[in-house]
Amino acid sequence: MVKHKICIFGYGNHGKFISRGLDIENFDITIVESNTKNYKNAKNDGFENVYLIDVTNDEDIKKLTLTNDTQLVCVMDDEHLNVFLTLSLRSLYQDIYILSISDSINVTKKLKMAGANKVIDLYEVSANKIYNLLDRPVATSLLEEFVLNKNGITFREMVIPQGSFLHGKMVDEIDFASYEVLLVGMIDEEMGHSFVFITAGIEHKLDSGDTMVCIGYADKLKEFEKLISKADIN
Amino acid sequence: MREKLLRFALLLHSSQRYQKKKEFVRSILFDDSNPFKKFFDISIIFLVITSVFILIYEVNHTVPVWLDNYDIFVVSFIFAIEYVLRLWVYNDISDMIYKEYNDALFLKKDFDIYAVLKKGIKQKLQYMITPSAIVDLLAILPAYRPLRILRVFILFRVFKLLRYTKSINQFVDVLVTKKFELLTLLFLLLFIVFTSGMAIYILEAGKNENITSLFDGLYWAIVTISTVGYGDISPVTDVGRAISILIIISGIAMISFVTSVIVSAFSERLSELKEYRIVEQLNKKEKFLIICGYGQLTKMFFRQNRFDIGSYVILESDVEQVNKATKDGYIAINESASSFQALSKFNYQNADITLLALTSNDVENIYITLNAKSLSRKIKVIARVNNPDNINKFNSAGADELLMPNLIANTMIYTAITQPTMYKAMHAILTGKSLANIDEIHVHNSHGLIDRTIDEIDFKEHKLLFIGLKREGKFIFNPKGDFVIEAYDVMLVMGKKISIEYFKSLHEGKNNG
Repeated sequence: MVKHKICIFGYGNHGKFISRGLDIENFDITIVESNTKNYKNAKNDGFENVYLIDVTNDEDIKKLTLTNDTQLVCVMDDEHLNVFLTLSLRSLYQDIYILSISDSINVTKKLKMAGANKVIDLYEVSANKIYNLLDRPVATSLLEEFVLNKNGITFREMVIPQGSFLHGKMVDEIDFASYEVLLVGMIDEEMGHSFVFITAGIEHKLDSGDTMVCIGYADKLKEFEKLISKADIN
Repeated sequence: MREKLLRFALLLHSSQRYQKKKEFVRSILFDDSNPFKKFFDISIIFLVITSVFILIYEVNHTVPVWLDNYDIFVVSFIFAIEYVLRLWVYNDISDMIYKEYNDALFLKKDFDIYAVLKKGIKQKLQYMITPSAIVDLLAILPAYRPLRILRVFILFRVFKLLRYTKSINQFVDVLVTKKFELLTLLFLLLFIVFTSGMAIYILEAGKNENITSLFDGLYWAIVTISTVGYGDISPVTDVGRAISILIIISGIAMISFVTSVIVSAFSERLSELKEYRIVEQLNKKEKFLIICGYGQLTKMFFRQNRFDIGSYVILESDVEQVNKATKDGYIAINESASSFQALSKFNYQNADITLLALTSNDVENIYITLNAKSLSRKIKVIARVNNPDNINKFNSAGADELLMPNLIANTMIYTAITQPTMYKAMHAILTGKSLANIDEIHVHNSHGLIDRTIDEIDFKEHKLLFIGLKREGKFIFNPKGDFVIEAYDVMLVMGKKISIEYFKSLHEGKNNG
């Protein structure tokens, strides 16, 4: 399996959590820091590709030789630095994917203007969680457990491989529950490149290349992912 | 005698029945949250209105005997009882004796019961000379028939109504804050009235046929200084007219002065009165939110505006932030949520309160949580945790839900990296976008789904995805078809909002199921 290349700028509050959570089997992780203490922390935590550079210096960034298939994650503790870094990265690399964190409404706008592909606003997601907690506390805590894989149940996305037995079948024909997984939604390439929930009431035809998001116990999901690569299961 | 008194006081103090009764009376008289207080208030108001009506009717008509009796015996009698009860619950002499006696035993000094009694009675006397107690007493007096002039005191019963109208109490409170200014002006006014009244009497008595006594002079001075000017008495000499000019001018100055003092008193207390109103309004609601702190997160919370959060109030200790919130169109008051007084103003006993501790300071949030929980375990607290090291402290403080902005953001980034497709789904679910909603169905004990198996419920037909259910704290993922639903299960389903709502309404009651 091809490793996803990922470059995380910042090993502070956010960087630490994200880097530690990533599975080194699937990800090729590079960590960049401008703070000596954080740099040492990253080294001590066992990461191999850790660089201490001045992120405000374009020459230093160029030396990192980032390629377009690398995902850049800007999570520096200093918000000014984060905006500046996003701007520098975008000007250096036009087509690279940049993900940034923002901790205020104003910064979100600036990051978007600076060229981040996706900005995660700390307060926006938290504010939404308050609504969820007020409206449906049980569902909210369960969902969080699923995402963080706390009780064994988790989400997993899988692409239907070429020659899978699922190819050409309608969603209704497949009894996902019998594999102890549930299909939550999918990207049906025939219907455009957007995610559609299974409960939207649209009849989907499964094709190779479609991406499915399933929920279930982690091991069952893995089994199911193996299973769908087979042409015939009977 | 001393011995007997002491024994009686100690007996009263230890008697549960006596204490309970006293507490009951106290709560009916003073405690707004006592459901009986409302009935008590209404009946007193009814008595006042009827007795005043009888007084007015009496002027031109003969009142039937039964009405007169009602007025004397029923109304006055009830007012007398009320007066005695208020006097009774004002302080607790038996408790004072008990405490002093114990202190004396402890210190091995002589105990003088009369000294304590004197102190207790003095307190009661102090109560008796408060304006409201005097009004109460005057309202009973008309029952004494031989003195018909006392009938006018029935009008004092109207003053009793003041006790039951909060806005007038507030008005008086505001005026009390300007006691010094108002009293000064009053003395000045009296001074002018007396000197000019006397002056006009000395100068014009004999010359002016309308002024025959000092009282006429004072009456004229008051009528003139107030700029009312009936004209029944007017000066005839030049000196008298000169005095008139002077008191008219000083009268105008005085009136504008008094007006400005009262207005400024009100504007000073305006925000306080407004806050009082906000809390009062909120306390009438069955369910409301108290949001502590008006910072980034609170602003964002309002900006999301996902659904109507119902009644709420923002408590913020920084005046500037309160003004900002008010300017932004939100209901905010300047109070620190970590103060016990601030939170105890709310109707925490009967209302369903959710408190959001959203300040950026963990110490403050923990303190707010503890404060709310010490007030009532019933208050639901959602607390923001900035430093994950403090999670344990929040849990021991009793927070119901923890909100960790860093963790949530990190989780989102993590999902965005590892499962980009899932991220969209998660984001849609978390922000409650229309297409997908993961919602919970609480199976209450008369719910239509009880005793039904999963197979019997056609989730697909309702365009829903049944993910699993939580039973006794454990989550059961995708239960088998023959699984039976029980009361108090919480089902986790996914679907469009309308699908979920329709499904919920379908099974709400047993009859529909």
